[in-house]
Amino acid sequence: MAEDSICSELKKEGMSRRGFLKFCGLVAGAMSFTMLPPIEGLTDVRGVQVPMKHGTIEMVAKALQTKQRLPVIWMEFQDCAGCSEALTRSKSPTLVDLVLNKITVEYHETLTAAAGFQTEEAKLAAMQKYAGQYILVVEGSVTDLDDGIYCTIGGKSSMELLREAAAGAAAIVATGNCAAFGGLPRAKPNPTGALGVYEVIKDKPVVNIPGCPAIPEVFTGVLAQFLVFGTLPELDALHRPKNFYGTAIHDRCLRRPFYDAGKFALSFDDEGAKKGYCLYKLGCKGPTTYNSCATLKWSGGLSFPIQSGHPCLGCSEPNFWDGGGFYQGQSAPISKPTGTVAAAAVAAGVAIAAGVGMANVAQKKAAHSADKEEEE
Amino acid sequence: MNWTAVLEFARGPFFKVALLVFIAGMAYRIARIIMLGWTKDRVPPRGSKVEGAAISFLKGILIWPFIPWVKDTFKRNPIIYIAGGLFHLGLFVVLILGTAHMLVWKSLLGFGWATLPLPIVDWLAAVAIVAMIVLFIHRLTNPVMRLISGWPEWLNLLFVFLPMVTGYMMTHHLFFRYEVLFSLHMLSVNVMLIWIPISRISHFVFYFFSKAIHGADFGKRSVSP
Amino acid sequence: MKTISNIAMNTFVKETGGYVAAQLEACTRCGMCADACHFYVATGNPEYAPVWKIELLKRAYEQRFTLSGKIKLALGVDKPVTDEDIQKFSKIVYEACTMCNKCSMVCPMGLQLGPLIHEVRTSMSNAGVVPDDLMKAVNKQVEEGSPLGVTDDVYDDRIEWVADEWEVDIPVDVKGADTLVVFSSIEVMKFPENIAAIAKILNTAGEKWTLSTAGREVVNFGFYEGSEERTKMFMQRIFDAAKELGVKKIVVTECGHAYDALRWTSYNMMEVPAGIEITHIVGLIGEYVRSGKIKLKAGAFDNGVITFHDACKIQRRGGHIKEPREILKILAPNSFKEMSPSKEQAICCGGGGGVIAIKEADPVRYAAFELKIDQMKAVGADAVVMSCSNCRLQFTDCVQHFNLDIKVKGLSQMVADALEER
Repeated sequence: MAEDSICSELKKEGMSRRGFLKFCGLVAGAMSFTMLPPIEGLTDVRGVQVPMKHGTIEMVAKALQTKQRLPVIWMEFQDCAGCSEALTRSKSPTLVDLVLNKITVEYHETLTAAAGFQTEEAKLAAMQKYAGQYILVVEGSVTDLDDGIYCTIGGKSSMELLREAAAGAAAIVATGNCAAFGGLPRAKPNPTGALGVYEVIKDKPVVNIPGCPAIPEVFTGVLAQFLVFGTLPELDALHRPKNFYGTAIHDRCLRRPFYDAGKFALSFDDEGAKKGYCLYKLGCKGPTTYNSCATLKWSGGLSFPIQSGHPCLGCSEPNFWDGGGFYQGQSAPISKPTGTVAAAAVAAGVAIAAGVGMANVAQKKAAHSADKEEEE
Repeated sequence: MNWTAVLEFARGPFFKVALLVFIAGMAYRIARIIMLGWTKDRVPPRGSKVEGAAISFLKGILIWPFIPWVKDTFKRNPIIYIAGGLFHLGLFVVLILGTAHMLVWKSLLGFGWATLPLPIVDWLAAVAIVAMIVLFIHRLTNPVMRLISGWPEWLNLLFVFLPMVTGYMMTHHLFFRYEVLFSLHMLSVNVMLIWIPISRISHFVFYFFSKAIHGADFGKRSVSP
Repeated sequence: MKTISNIAMNTFVKETGGYVAAQLEACTRCGMCADACHFYVATGNPEYAPVWKIELLKRAYEQRFTLSGKIKLALGVDKPVTDEDIQKFSKIVYEACTMCNKCSMVCPMGLQLGPLIHEVRTSMSNAGVVPDDLMKAVNKQVEEGSPLGVTDDVYDDRIEWVADEWEVDIPVDVKGADTLVVFSSIEVMKFPENIAAIAKILNTAGEKWTLSTAGREVVNFGFYEGSEERTKMFMQRIFDAAKELGVKKIVVTECGHAYDALRWTSYNMMEVPAGIEITHIVGLIGEYVRSGKIKLKAGAFDNGVITFHDACKIQRRGGHIKEPREILKILAPNSFKEMSPSKEQAICCGGGGGVIAIKEADPVRYAAFELKIDQMKAVGADAVVMSCSNCRLQFTDCVQHFNLDIKVKGLSQMVADALEER
């Protein structure tokens, strides 16, 4: 493949050397990049490994000077396309431009104008052409129940399609809570048996970018890293990039001082709410939710739910739909017995006590008569 | 290790089961004792039994925890009065006036209430933890305590200490990630819930029986309990 | 042949109802009761902690009535109650406990440890494991009507002598009297001046009273023993006498446990004759003073420092706390000083509960009394007055033993000495 490096493409578009370095700085920042340990085995894919002794921006510059465009296959399964929508509406043009234009989206169900069997064939062709090199982006959960009939494209089940696409992928990015953990389709009673990608694909690196939707800048930041260095960020136990999902909302929240001071909004739009008090008592899941909402925010850094007055739903955590309810306190249990079941437990306890109690009373009676016998 | 999954389990089905065991177990204990029978007291009282019981409760809740030195035995063993009192004070404040726990009650009972700011609750939690350590040492070193303590008493201390310490760690994000601490906290809470009905921690219920009996016995004789 | 532990366990089972069980369940093993027990404080022996005294009762309850206790016993985690246990604990509950019930006031759960220890004594009694000295006294009371051997003849002689010696009217066996007064044989034999004093007070107040030869003994060694059978037997003698004489009131004179038994326990053990009020001489005298039936010479005993010793069974367990103070405020307004602690928190003299009758208990009895010495020294007392003759016996014996310079007085005697003639 005699393709140009990204740097030369940018030059072709008229970017100056100075502009390029500024751009590299932006990209480095977007990756929340301080140190980038490469994932073993991926450096061959994208070419030369960049030595660590260079400074940050130099490293990005060096990488962009040597890397080529990145092929991407984007599959959607049980999804709402919200993550794609969010991405296309993202307001960081330079970065998104880089990603969307410097990556070749070989297949995207929502964004592709074409449809039908031809698109499917084009996808398969691309998968063959770029075998071992492309990034597979998955949006939406897969379903395995009842032979996978609940989600099919062109007659093939989502499980089949996923496995087929994953086979030739360099890495898989599961964008959105659905692809990562099953999302909304997985909410009780989970009629389709929805699964996250990393529960199905075990032999390829899977990066989860959960959120409902995923924060566009997080998604592009991850892709940019792969684009630039051919490496994936360090992942936590839930396969989420630590640089974006390493801190809880609670620890970066602008309303945290109110939490510490014990000032809470008690209902929407009440006195406290108007003063911007903490939303913990309204069910904010900030303490157990890891994401970049409080720092990167949404709509190009405009705001995020808590700032706008709504408690965090915990949408980047597994099973947040079944996390006890959006307006139930974060500390509350997510499973509790109903009044009936609790009453049944009381009844059970009393019933056993009745049995033991009767035995005890009988014992006492026996003791009384034993005493009487002694006297006689 | 997937601590988020552990947390889901500890807050979810495990908690539900633990709470049901707690409810059934306490119902069992109370019913079993009541079934042992109560004989009618035929002694003509000199004073009011009800008043005696009421004063017994009031003294126990409003006076002695705060000015324990009104009891002359305080001088002989001030540590247990102070440590025991501070432990219970911290425990009640954290469990009832702490925001995080109030939300748990709200989800179980359907209503909540105003709570204290975090620094106050946090400070009292620390005091309670220190008090528990003091009580532990007291139980290890005092000759009477050594005589009357068996492994159930040591487990009582442990199963109450763990939730308190893990809760404190949670609040301060000490050493581990939040979901790890939350998981440990919920796991230890569930173990405690299961342990309560089979141990003397259930004294918080039997307190009402014994204090009422005590107050009535004294009130009957027209003596201040 | 049933073993000692079999019989004892049987009794534990019999005695354990909701009252006992609820309290055993409430105990948190906090050990605070130990600091209230004068025997523990005086000797430092942890086995004297009140909670340890009910250990066998607790073990019986757990092993016989609770699932966890049965499982622990089956697994070998808990030990069964043995004959050795009964022997060991018998010594503890009879010699190192006066059932003063101060422990219950200190227990944060309010456990009525005194009554619970009494249940333990009942089991010991049924198993026949009671200190010899105590049993001798009990048997004497069964056979002769009094642990000190005061038969009806001895009694009549003594009363006649007292009436003569102190020139006071003492009606005996008067049918149709209002009030039956029952003395303790301690007063009869050791403090006969008390009888004269009380007679004088009753006569001055115009009380229509009588003694009874048949119901001559208010002391109840069956109560000390813990034997239900003998406790009832001794009280029955008094009730029979009361019925026979048709009285409306029974007055217990200066004895503590007798009041506990007769006034606060008898109704739950046996049929008490209807329409008869049971009261203590301290309460009666208090009534006389309040109503003006007797008048006292103010300041009659204002001399040095005089303090009051609260008898566990008359004050803490009897309720007559105000009366002695009202009386002493009149008799010694300047000299009277309260000990600390006192009233319902008072420290036991150490001789009650039968302890003074058991020779083997002498060492701990004297050790416990040192707490009272400290108390009296702290207020600088020259004299100490009390309303129980068992306490008086203990104080008198200990004053001699420790060679103290303190006068031991009876309250009734002081009242009698300060009576203003009508």
